[in-house]
Amino acid sequence: MDIAIAVEEKDGLTIAMLSGELNSSTAEQVQARLLELIGPGCKIVLDMSGVNYISSVGLRALLLLYRETMRQDGRIVLCGLTEMVYDTMFITGFLDFFETFATCAEGQAGIVRPS
Amino acid sequence: MESVCLPGTLEALPDVGAFVARAAQKAGLDNHAAYKLRLAVDEIATNSVVHGYDRAGQEGDLSLTAELTADRVIVILRESSPPYDPRQTPPPEDLDQPPDRRPAGGLGVYLALQGVDAFDYAYRKGQNCHTFVMNRTS
Repeated sequence: MDIAIAVEEKDGLTIAMLSGELNSSTAEQVQARLLELIGPGCKIVLDMSGVNYISSVGLRALLLLYRETMRQDGRIVLCGLTEMVYDTMFITGFLDFFETFATCAEGQAGIVRPS
Repeated sequence: MESVCLPGTLEALPDVGAFVARAAQKAGLDNHAAYKLRLAVDEIATNSVVHGYDRAGQEGDLSLTAELTADRVIVILRESSPPYDPRQTPPPEDLDQPPDRRPAGGLGVYLALQGVDAFDYAYRKGQNCHTFVMNRTS
């Protein structure tokens, strides 16, 4: 149960696509890789449509990424949350602060609009 | 009754998840209930490894059983890390806090306990026994 991380730079955006499970075996790797992408004023579109499982360790990684992005005056949005990942993020209050979009294309359009 | 005995390490957690997923499938749980059962056992097992065995410098097992009754699936996790009742963990009070104020941890037990139809804990014969119950008909 590994995770794949594909990163693409496009039109000033960083698009990162995760595929797999965000759990205690993978969260550290994801956090380390995505932290590398965060810089001053970065715009990160995190495509989660391939993530079918998230545990609290994965949520913690997302929270730390969010905080670091804010610290650097950047913006991060999540796209394509699968039903149960959405559910888990909803009941833990993560959707109160994370911006989400149904698809990666909508995320790319949304992140350049004023929030 | 199915059972498996795994080492109390982070590397074993995918096997914990696979065991619970099989039990959920046999029980005919829908995807939603199956996910929540797996998440609950994963969270408590992760805590047993990280906050139990590893913190105490102990080695031990994660022993799992799954039992089907007519209307329920019951998964029991037994482990011999220091006694700890997850129900004693206060529920997070800060789920509506802004992200810079909320603590980074503490969500695992909350997700586990709120996700299953019933949870029970007992300390028996030197083991933490965590019981997770999901109703088969909901």
